[in-house]
Amino acid sequence: MEPILSIQGLEKSFGPLKVLKGIDLDVQKGEVVCIIGASGSGKSTLLRCLNLLEEPDSGHIWFGGQDLTDLDADLDGLRQRIGMVFQGFNLFNNKNVLDNCTLAPISVKHIPRAQAEETAIHHLRTVGLGEFIHADSRRLSGGQKQRVAIARALCMEPEIMLFDEPTSALDPEIVGEVLDVMKTLAREGMTMVVVTHEMAFAKEVSDRVVFMDQGVILEQGTPAEVFGSPREARTREFLSRYLEDKGI
Amino acid sequence: MAMNNIFSALCAILGDAGRWLRGRAAALLSFAAADHPYVYLSGSALSLAAALTYIFSQRYGFFLSRPLWVWTALALCGAFCLASLAALASKLRLKRRYRAGSRFCAPAARRAARYGSYVIWTVAALTLADRLHVLYQVVREVMAMDTNPSPFFQAMVYMFYNSRALFLRGLWTTLRLAFFGTIFGFLLAVGLVFLRIQTPSKRDWDHVKLIKILCSRFAALYATVVRGTPMMLQAFIIYYAGFGLFKGHTDLTITEINTIWSFFIAGLTTVSLNSAAYLSEVLRGGVESIDAGQTEAARSLGMSSWMTMMKVVFPQALKNSIPAIGNEMIINIKDSSVLNCIGVVELMYAATSVAGIYYKNLPNYVSAAIIYLIMTCCISAILNKLSARLSLNTYRGVPSSN
Repeated sequence: MEPILSIQGLEKSFGPLKVLKGIDLDVQKGEVVCIIGASGSGKSTLLRCLNLLEEPDSGHIWFGGQDLTDLDADLDGLRQRIGMVFQGFNLFNNKNVLDNCTLAPISVKHIPRAQAEETAIHHLRTVGLGEFIHADSRRLSGGQKQRVAIARALCMEPEIMLFDEPTSALDPEIVGEVLDVMKTLAREGMTMVVVTHEMAFAKEVSDRVVFMDQGVILEQGTPAEVFGSPREARTREFLSRYLEDKGI
Repeated sequence: MAMNNIFSALCAILGDAGRWLRGRAAALLSFAAADHPYVYLSGSALSLAAALTYIFSQRYGFFLSRPLWVWTALALCGAFCLASLAALASKLRLKRRYRAGSRFCAPAARRAARYGSYVIWTVAALTLADRLHVLYQVVREVMAMDTNPSPFFQAMVYMFYNSRALFLRGLWTTLRLAFFGTIFGFLLAVGLVFLRIQTPSKRDWDHVKLIKILCSRFAALYATVVRGTPMMLQAFIIYYAGFGLFKGHTDLTITEINTIWSFFIAGLTTVSLNSAAYLSEVLRGGVESIDAGQTEAARSLGMSSWMTMMKVVFPQALKNSIPAIGNEMIINIKDSSVLNCIGVVELMYAATSVAGIYYKNLPNYVSAAIIYLIMTCCISAILNKLSARLSLNTYRGVPSSN
């Protein structure tokens, strides 16, 4: 089957620091891929390259039959089909919850307001925020903000969702509410690429786990393979230290 | 060696003495700061001020006899001073037990002091009312005069009253310059800031990259030039440059040019162009203060950079900049005074003219200063109200059920 997203030989440097050293990765439709690895291993940069928030130095990203890295690619058009959720929520502070969700559908896809609002309310209900439709987005808790951010991305009806450490800025107590929404999404068959430190989530939800270290993909496989019997010593080291720290 | 020893011994003694003095001073300070009805002293100061007002003033009250008033105020002052001294004596006697044991700290004493303070306030308010009445009388008398009186205040009132048309014209011009100058400056600044924030990206075509760089550099250069030169000089340059343009490129006579390219128009242009530079920096700061995450989020949803700017970043930047824009208006009220150099009849020009008519400078400049102060205070009060209302609206979105 043709993969929905295909990355070939992706490289990226920040000044003298080479962050991505040739990444190859295919994502199938409906697949949930979790990218794990130590801080500074390049996972977030990789994810941000996937919708060209970071311009890669070389390599190709094929999405829906088009190369995003092509200088003449319709970037805005392609980004409409790729949803992204950030670590810092990044809600629009000058808009309330509903307007956060309808801004892009109305202004970019030219969907009539009534219809856009209907879709937005549907997605807000799905993430459990039906009561906060008209709330000021700055007044929400972190967990609520992140769920609004997920609903906002869903309102564009993306073909794939990228999650950049969506729970890292949250209290441990409310991490669950965001992860639950993500699990529901995964069950409904959304294609997802998730950069995360939540190993339990990766183990439970993902179809494939990718372990990154120092700018390369060191190991990938099913959760059972990577967590159960990692091939690389570095993976074992990372996982054991991680599980120790977490006290699991 | 011996010298050294003596020196270090001396240092030790001096150090000890210093420590002792510091300790005493600290103890004294804490004793003075400890619970003490200093309100007595402030009350006596207020009544003393009321008494002195009457002793030294040339004219006095319309509803009370002067000696009676002075003696009442002095008696009040004395009573409060005595109470304060008695309290001090009690404090010195009781030291640490003052608060618990002294009659001056008992509720009855506090209540008495409060009623005493009402008396003081009455005296002060009556004195103030009386002074205002006298002021009113003086102003009325001056308005009826037909020669310039010599006392400072009377002369100031006389000249202001008799040249009120000129002063009011100046005030009106100043207000128009500041108001429209800020508005035009703001509109220009919005344009400038859009030029300023253009950054070429890898995906732009080469000529777009070039245009973006040129636009950004132009806006930066404009701000540097305007902010780096005095506004008075800008006024001269703009006025004469405009005049020269009309003279060189049209067949208009000088009188006709002066009607089209009037001092006021030249002045307004100066204020607008000047404000544009400052406000563009303000807006740029506003744009840069919006965190990049919101831009990234908008771009990730497929919004173009222009749309992101218009719908997400700029509205927030504008809102954050509103206090600074109001501040620019207040600055323009004051700074438009330099336009008197090209003959714009604003308030400063009016004051100078009146000073020339009467051969008296200081009273007229003080009048002008008072008018400027009133204008700036009023405008800043209005702006404070406005921004308070705006930020109230910001937080109106209390979570509500649908």
